[in-house]
Amino acid sequence: MARTGVFVCHCGTNIAGTVDIDQSVEASRGFPGVVHAGEYRYLCSEMGQDLIKNAIEEHNLDRVVVGTCSPRMHENTFRKAAAEAGLNPYMLEVANIREHCSWVHREMDEATPKAIALLRAAAAKVALNDPLDIPELDVEKRALIIGGGIAGIQAALDIAEAGYVVDIVEREPSIGGRMAQLEKTFPTLDCSACILTPKMVEAAQHPNVNLITYSEIDEVKGFVGQFDVKIRQKARSVDSVKCTGCGICWEKCPSKAPSEFEMGMAKRKAIYVPFPQAVPNVPVIDRDNCLYFKKGRCQICAKECPPEAIDFEQQDVVIERRYGAIIVATGFDQLDPSIYGEYGYGQHPDILTGLEFERLFNASGPTGGKVVRLSDGKPPRNVVFIQCIGSRDKARGMNYCSKICCMFTAKQAILLKEKVPDARSYVFYIDVRTAGKGYEEFQRRAAEEYDVAYLRGQVGKIFPEEDHLVVHGVDSLSGKIVEIKADMVVLAAASIARCDAPEVGRKVGINSDSYHFFNEAHPKLRPVETHTAGVFIAGACQAPKDIPDTVAQASAAAVKAIGLLSKEKLQGEACTAEVIQDECSGCLNCIAVCPYTAITEVEIEERHHGGTLKRTVAQVNPSLCQGCGSCTATCRSGSINLKGFTNEQILAEVDAICL
Amino acid sequence: MAEKSLKEAEKIREIVGQDLLGGRIGLLLGWEKGHYWWQSRPLFAKNEADLEKLTWDSFCVINLSRYLLEELKEHGKVGVLVKGCDARAFNRLLQDNMVARDRVVLYGLPCPGMLDYGRLNEEAGGALISISESNGSVTLKTGTGEKSVERDQVLMKKCAECVYPDPVVYDQLLLSPQGKKEGVERFKSVEDLEELTPDERFAYWEGELSRCLRCYACRQVCPFCSCRECFVEQDNPRWQGRAYQPGENFMFHLVRAYHGTGRCIDCGECERACPVDIPLQELNRKLIKDINQLYGDYEAGVDAEADPPLLTYRPDDPAAFSEK
Amino acid sequence: MSVGVKEKAAGWEPLIVAFCCNWCSYAGGDLAGTSRLTYPSNVKVIRVPCSGRMNPMFVLRAFQRGADGVIVAGCHPGDCHYSTGNYSARRRLSAFKRLVEFAGFEPERFEVRWISSSEGDKFAEEMTGITERIKALGPNGKMRDARWQKKA
Repeated sequence: MARTGVFVCHCGTNIAGTVDIDQSVEASRGFPGVVHAGEYRYLCSEMGQDLIKNAIEEHNLDRVVVGTCSPRMHENTFRKAAAEAGLNPYMLEVANIREHCSWVHREMDEATPKAIALLRAAAAKVALNDPLDIPELDVEKRALIIGGGIAGIQAALDIAEAGYVVDIVEREPSIGGRMAQLEKTFPTLDCSACILTPKMVEAAQHPNVNLITYSEIDEVKGFVGQFDVKIRQKARSVDSVKCTGCGICWEKCPSKAPSEFEMGMAKRKAIYVPFPQAVPNVPVIDRDNCLYFKKGRCQICAKECPPEAIDFEQQDVVIERRYGAIIVATGFDQLDPSIYGEYGYGQHPDILTGLEFERLFNASGPTGGKVVRLSDGKPPRNVVFIQCIGSRDKARGMNYCSKICCMFTAKQAILLKEKVPDARSYVFYIDVRTAGKGYEEFQRRAAEEYDVAYLRGQVGKIFPEEDHLVVHGVDSLSGKIVEIKADMVVLAAASIARCDAPEVGRKVGINSDSYHFFNEAHPKLRPVETHTAGVFIAGACQAPKDIPDTVAQASAAAVKAIGLLSKEKLQGEACTAEVIQDECSGCLNCIAVCPYTAITEVEIEERHHGGTLKRTVAQVNPSLCQGCGSCTATCRSGSINLKGFTNEQILAEVDAICL
Repeated sequence: MAEKSLKEAEKIREIVGQDLLGGRIGLLLGWEKGHYWWQSRPLFAKNEADLEKLTWDSFCVINLSRYLLEELKEHGKVGVLVKGCDARAFNRLLQDNMVARDRVVLYGLPCPGMLDYGRLNEEAGGALISISESNGSVTLKTGTGEKSVERDQVLMKKCAECVYPDPVVYDQLLLSPQGKKEGVERFKSVEDLEELTPDERFAYWEGELSRCLRCYACRQVCPFCSCRECFVEQDNPRWQGRAYQPGENFMFHLVRAYHGTGRCIDCGECERACPVDIPLQELNRKLIKDINQLYGDYEAGVDAEADPPLLTYRPDDPAAFSEK
Repeated sequence: MSVGVKEKAAGWEPLIVAFCCNWCSYAGGDLAGTSRLTYPSNVKVIRVPCSGRMNPMFVLRAFQRGADGVIVAGCHPGDCHYSTGNYSARRRLSAFKRLVEFAGFEPERFEVRWISSSEGDKFAEEMTGITERIKALGPNGKMRDARWQKKA
C-alpha cells in the first residue's frame, strides 16, 4: 500500500486567496493511500522544501503529491527535494492548483472543489508511480550552425574560442548573409564590410571552424548530444582546394545571369562569387546558366583557369556528421511589396525596396556606388521613403513591427544627403520607433541636420508622370493631402521569415509562430533555447532584429551550446516507452509512428509445447526515446507503455477526476 | 449439390494433393462437411485420407487465414485455400507481421458467394431437406415439394455486399476469376444511420448492443484481432469492466471497431459469428467510409504494401474536428 | 443525492475533462493562469506528454465515469514538440470522433483543439466554449456507469 504525503502550497495569497487550503488538506487526508497531509505558505522556499523532506522521514512516506504552481514551473525543485530525502525523484506528482485553478477562477467555492479534484487525481496517479532511472547520454563535442550570416559567424567564433569544433552550413556560395549586402550600419555609420569582413576571414581561418558553404541540411536525426545530420554539399563545379580565387574564370565567362546578391539589379557571370569579399573566395558554376552545361560547349573557364580547378564532373556530396548541439541562424527575407498594387513596385525601375536602395550606395553595387535612378542614370532630387510596407498591417501584411526599418530609413536618408547634397528626403511613417542605444539621437540628426521631412501618414497611390513619380499621400497631422513629385521611391518592406523556414523547422524539430519565425522556449527567460533540447536559435530567424541584437543573441546561443558541450554526460529522458514483450504480438505498428526511430524489432524465444519458438517483438532504445507516447496509443493491446504516463496512471487520473 | 462445385472440388483436391503428398506443405487448411449438409467446417488435412474429405461448396464461408496463427507454430509450411475475403485477411495478418509469406502457400479460389441457411429456410417456407444449384439459381427441396430461387436472393449478407470476390494474393489461382463487383452499396445502412439524430442513433445502438453476451466470438474470428492479450481480458489496467452494463458493451464494441480503423478488411466474419445478430459491420464500415473520405481511398487487405492510414499522415491532412 | 443522468437537475454543473499535451496546450493553460484569464472550473486538466499519447479508451473511460464532455488539446499541426505526434493524433482522433458520433454521442461531447503555449487566451476561450456548449446540451448519460455516481 502506498504511503503518500500531500502538501498544499498557499503561494502567499496566489493560491490561498481562492482555494480553501484547510479544506483541501482535510480532503486530501481521505484519499486512498494518503497517510499525511500538510500545507505551507511557500512550499518552493527552502523552509517549504524542508517541511516536505522532514515529513518524508517522519511519516515514512514513499510518494509525494504537491499542490502548487504548474509542474512546468517547479516540478524539478520538488523532485530534487524528494530525492534529497531519499525518494526516487519520480515518486512525486504535482497538482497544478495555481495556473490551472486559483488564477483562473475567482470564487472560493468554485476553486476549492476543483483544487481537491486535482489533488485527488494526482494522489491517484502517484499511487501507481514507479521509481525511474535517468539514463546518461554521451555528448558529441561538436556544434553545427545552420546559416552563415552575422549570427552564425558570431556564434561559431564564440564556440570555437571556447575550444570546440564548429561547422557552419551556409546555403549560398559565401558566408556573410544579409549584413554583407549592407553599405553602412546604424547608428554609427560604420562601413558594414569593414566590420563584417574581418569576422568572415577570422571564421575561415580559425582552426576550430569549418565552413561548409553552398550546402543545405538534408536530414537531422537523433537528440541532444547526438544529432546525426546529413548535409548536402551542392556541386560547386570548382575544386576548392586547387582554386586560388584569382578571378580569371569569371572575368572570361561569356554567360550572364541576374545576380542574387544584387537582387537582380545587376548581372553576374555563370561562374561567380556572389560579392568581391566572398569567403571562401571560390566561385561556383551556376549550371542553369553555364553554356557548357546547357549546350555542351564553351569550357572557357576551364581552359583559362591557371590551377585547373574547374571540375564539370563534380557531384553533390552528402556529409554525415554527429553534433552535440545545433544553432539555427537562418536569417530573414524581405517581403515582396508587389502584393500592394498601389505602390507600383515591380512596375517602375525607380521604385525600390530598402535593401535594393542600399545596394546603390555600395562601390561594388549595380551603380558602382553612384546613387542614381535606374531608369535614366540621373541622380535623384526628391526621394520618398514609405515605412511599414507589410509591417503593422493586420489586413494585408504582418501584424508585427519589423523593427529595423525606421532606423535604416534614417540611415539611408543621411547617406543620400551625403552622396547627393541637393537631394531631399521625405519619409511617410505610422510611428517612428527608435528604441536602442544611440538610435533616437541618430534619427533626430536625420530630421534636423539632414533636412529629412517626416510626414506622419500613409501613401495611397504612386504613379509615373513624365520623368518622375507622383506620390499621393495624406499628412495625418495636418489632415492635408500631400502630393510629391518624386524621382525615386523607397519602400521599407517588412522583414519576414525565410520562405523555407517551416521546412527547416521541421527538419531540425523546432516550431514556429504564425509568421513562421522560430519559437524560443520562453519569450523572456529562455530566449535562445527551443523546445527541442540542444537546438538553439539566433538572429532574425526568431523575429526581426537589428545587428546588435542579433550578435548578442548569437553569443547567448553560443554560451548555451558551449555549456552543453562542456558536459561529460547528459541526463536523458526518464519517462520513456517500454515494451511488455510477453504481451507484444509483434505487429510493429509502433515502429511506424515513432518520430525518433527509437523502436526496433527483436527476436525472442518462447516455450511452446515443450520446445521453443522464435517470434518477433518490439523493443525500445531508451536513449533515443523522447517519451511522446505515440506508440502507446497505436498499440491495441497496451503492450507498450510510457513510464511516468502509463495507461494505468492516466486511467486512474480519469477515474479520480470524475469522482 | 451442384455438379460444377463437385468438379471444382476434384480439381482443387488434385492440385493441393500434389503439394501436400509431395511434401511441399505440411498441412492444408481447407473445408470439409460438418454435421449438417448446410455447414462446411475447417479441414486440417495432413494426409491423403484427410484430403478425401476436402469440400468446396456454397457453405465454405469460414475464413481460414486466421487459423494460420496457430498452425504455423506447428508446421513449417502451410497451404491454405483462400477466397477473396480469406486472401484479404491473409494480407491483414501479413501487414501485422503475424505470418511469414514464405511459409504459406496460398491457393486462390475466386468466390461466387456463400449461401445463407437462414435465407434458404425463409425462401423454402418449410422444412428444408436439401438444395441443388445450377446456373445462378438454387432449387430448394422440402418435404412438400421443390422451389427455385435466384442465387443472389439467398446469399450471405456479407457475400452479397462483397466487393472483392477474387483473391488479391495467391500463389496459384485454382478457378477462373469472378471479377471485381461494381455498384455494391455496402455503406447504405451506415448512411441511413447517419441521418438519425444522435439520440435516435444512441437508442438504436443501445438496443442492438444490449443483446451482446460478451462471448467475443466476433473477436475470435476477426483477422485484425491478433493481439496476444486482448484489452478486454487485461486486469492491469482493466480497460474493460466485466459487469453487464450498457456502458461496458459500448466500451467493447467501440474499441473493437476503432482497433479496426484502416485495418478492417470488411469480410463480415464478426457479424456472421455473432450469435445475437449485432450489426457489427455497420461500425466497421462507418470507419472505412470516413477514413476513406478523410484520408483518401484505402481498402485494407487489398494491397499489403500500402501504408495503413493510421500509420502514416500528411502534414495537410484534414481533421474531423470543428476546427481544422 | 446523485446527479441525474437523464435530466438536467437543478444546480447541475457539467464535468469537462481536458487532456492537454505538456508542451503546447498545458502550457497554454498555464499562460491563461499567468494572464489571469478566467474559464469555468468545470474544466479539469489531465496532463499528457503529447496529443499522440491519447488512447481513445481514455475518452470512453471518462464518459463512463461521468464526464459530460471531453476535449483533447495539442500543439498546432507542424508544431509538435515530438514533430509528428499530433499528425498521428489528428488521424486517430478524427476517426474516433466520427465513431463516437455514430454511436450516438452529440458532436459537442468530444472535441479536439490545437492550442499553442502562447495562446492562453485561446485556451480560456476554448474551455469556456466547450463548457457552455455542454451546459446547453445537458448531462451526458450515454455510456455512463450508474455505479460511478458523483457524490453530492
